[in-house]
Amino acid sequence: MQNVNYTVNYFVHAYRQAPWRIQRQWIGAFLLGVLGLAMVAALYLDVTAQAAIYGRSIQDMSAEMIAIQHNSADLQTKLAELTSSSVMEQRAQTLGYLPVDSSQMDYVIVPGYSAPKPSILASVPSLTPSAASIPPEYTQSLIDWLDQHLRAPSANILIGVAQ
Amino acid sequence: MRQQYAWRSLVLAGLLGFVGLSIILQIVRIQNSPEAAIFRKQMAGYQTVLKTFYPERGEIYDRNGHLLAGNKTSYEVGVELKEAKDKHTIALVVGVQLGLNPDDLYNQMMNPPDGIEYLVLADFVDADKAAQLQQLKLTTDENTAPGQTSALAGLEFKAHPQRSYPEGSLASNLLGFVNREGRGYFGVEEKYNTLLAGNPIQVWVPTDPNKAVDIPRVPNGTTLVLTINRDLQAAVEQILDQSLTRYGAQSGTIVVMDPRTGEILALASSPRMDLNQFWNYGTVYQNASEFDRAISMPYEPGSVIKVLTVAAALDSGAATPTSSYLDTGEVEVGGWKIRNWDNQAWGQQDITGCLQHSLNICMAWLSNQMGAQTFYGYMNRFGLGHLTGVDLAGEAAGRLKVPGDTDWYPVDLATNAFGQGVSVTPIQLMMASSAVANDGRMVTPHVLYAMVRDGRQYNVPAQYAGSPISADTAHTLSQILAVSLENESSNALVSGYRIAGKTGTAQIPTDYGYEAGVTNASFIGWGPVDDPKFMIYVWLEKPSASIWGSETAAPVFEEVAQKTVVLLNIPPDNVRMQIAQH
Repeated sequence: MQNVNYTVNYFVHAYRQAPWRIQRQWIGAFLLGVLGLAMVAALYLDVTAQAAIYGRSIQDMSAEMIAIQHNSADLQTKLAELTSSSVMEQRAQTLGYLPVDSSQMDYVIVPGYSAPKPSILASVPSLTPSAASIPPEYTQSLIDWLDQHLRAPSANILIGVAQ
Repeated sequence: MRQQYAWRSLVLAGLLGFVGLSIILQIVRIQNSPEAAIFRKQMAGYQTVLKTFYPERGEIYDRNGHLLAGNKTSYEVGVELKEAKDKHTIALVVGVQLGLNPDDLYNQMMNPPDGIEYLVLADFVDADKAAQLQQLKLTTDENTAPGQTSALAGLEFKAHPQRSYPEGSLASNLLGFVNREGRGYFGVEEKYNTLLAGNPIQVWVPTDPNKAVDIPRVPNGTTLVLTINRDLQAAVEQILDQSLTRYGAQSGTIVVMDPRTGEILALASSPRMDLNQFWNYGTVYQNASEFDRAISMPYEPGSVIKVLTVAAALDSGAATPTSSYLDTGEVEVGGWKIRNWDNQAWGQQDITGCLQHSLNICMAWLSNQMGAQTFYGYMNRFGLGHLTGVDLAGEAAGRLKVPGDTDWYPVDLATNAFGQGVSVTPIQLMMASSAVANDGRMVTPHVLYAMVRDGRQYNVPAQYAGSPISADTAHTLSQILAVSLENESSNALVSGYRIAGKTGTAQIPTDYGYEAGVTNASFIGWGPVDDPKFMIYVWLEKPSASIWGSETAAPVFEEVAQKTVVLLNIPPDNVRMQIAQH
């Protein structure tokens, strides 16, 4: 008990000797707070800037995707024009081919041969992004994230329990 | 001194605090002021933009995957009037590059409609031409001195999709076309317009890139695969064009169908038009029914309908293949005299003779044997006077007068039996005759083979439209028709293949009776008789080389059948027998 009183008296005496120490502590705490806020602000700014850059990239890529789709349709149409019935017939005639008559045809029986079927145009369904595929981490701001967690703390607790 | 500084600091801090507090108070005041709602509304307006995403129109393919209708990019060339400083140069450059009158363009720019800031100079410009124009603008901009305005400043290019038909006029009667507003007209384009066009989606897109939202995936319009065989279609069109010239016909129609499934393999009608220049529609066609005569233009078909009359007579038991009658060359029905095509008496005839010589008196006799109720009952079941349900826009139902109608007379029972006084479309007769070719089962003609959507293909099954006659009747009649063609040494016979069919030569009705000296020549036939794989209908309107179907439509049938067996890989009957034995 004597030791404790001694220590207290020692500090009281010391601060009476140098009151600027208390001020320095306050300033230190304040600066620490400012530093913390600055770090959060910097982080927020960085995340926001990155989100903006990626958002713009998405918009650019969407436009590019539409342009590519149009280009693909153009090329498909051009290919169809180059292989159209009239063009192919003309090419065949230029190469010296003649239309065949049914009397000129010879049929050979090939066991197991099956006649060609009409075209199957559908390919394997491709994976396409949908609204649900983008997780909230890529769409919500820091404030949105904080708001979500503050408004629904019980959800996290439940998850914590389950884990 | 130190205290003086402290006071100054306190005053400065107080001042700054006051300013800060005032700002905060002002912020709070503004946020809660009556104007705040207006500001928020304005802000919301700038935050998002309503964008409409249009799907790409579905493509159309033939059954072998050849593109018949696709999409390509075309350009709208316009000018921002405020930015365009040298309108004369713009008019000259655009006019020369796009083949337009520069004076007209200049006048348009100088006298724009009120309130217009952007003026469209040309639309649906080909990508190549637009690219040349864009390059020219780029070069001009680069060569413009700094601080000066480019001579082509204000010239704008906007890309947009346009329907394209790589085959030009091929199958135009069947495909139809899409106008500038994106709406389908005629044929497949109109019938399946909703499916092909897809559904546009409207989305509020935030302008703030921070608020990234998914651009919605707008599914393209449904792609259609048709039952048409492109090569057969081209061959049939070629034969039709040659036939019109050879026989001096005004117009014509040829349809090739699979009688087992109702799949239309080729459909050609005249005239045709280049679908890429759909705006010429008005100059090519006088009225809408001419666009596709096979489905839209009913006519009195003449003797081809005898197939149905005999089918009804055999099926109802009113006659048998060996039934005979004495043809006197003339019979009176309802006060009107009915005569054969050659005004001759053919004596004792059986059913084969009736069809072989195409005797009208015989048909009048058969319809009389059946009675009106039975005859019209069968014609009704064959679908005469009804739409077939073919999946092409603009189908006409034709007209079958029946007892009870104000314009029906007893003589109609006789004339209808040989194809006069009744109007049908080629596609109706094909559907009805498919019952004879297909074991008594009638098929619904269709052009849609499959739909492709979201990476999946949905095949369209064959649809049956009832069984108006029994399988036995169908087999018996097919044999009679084949024998009658063989006995007649018809021009329709195809070497190596047994064919069943019937010619038709019909007078053409006018408001004042039948037109003299002109006919509609037709032929319907199918083969091979024991396993029909094709049914062909030929209709030549007013052929001048000969009025008879046997001399015009029948040889055209043979020509089409020759092409069909080659292009569809249908071996001759003897080869098929060999295959069957293996």
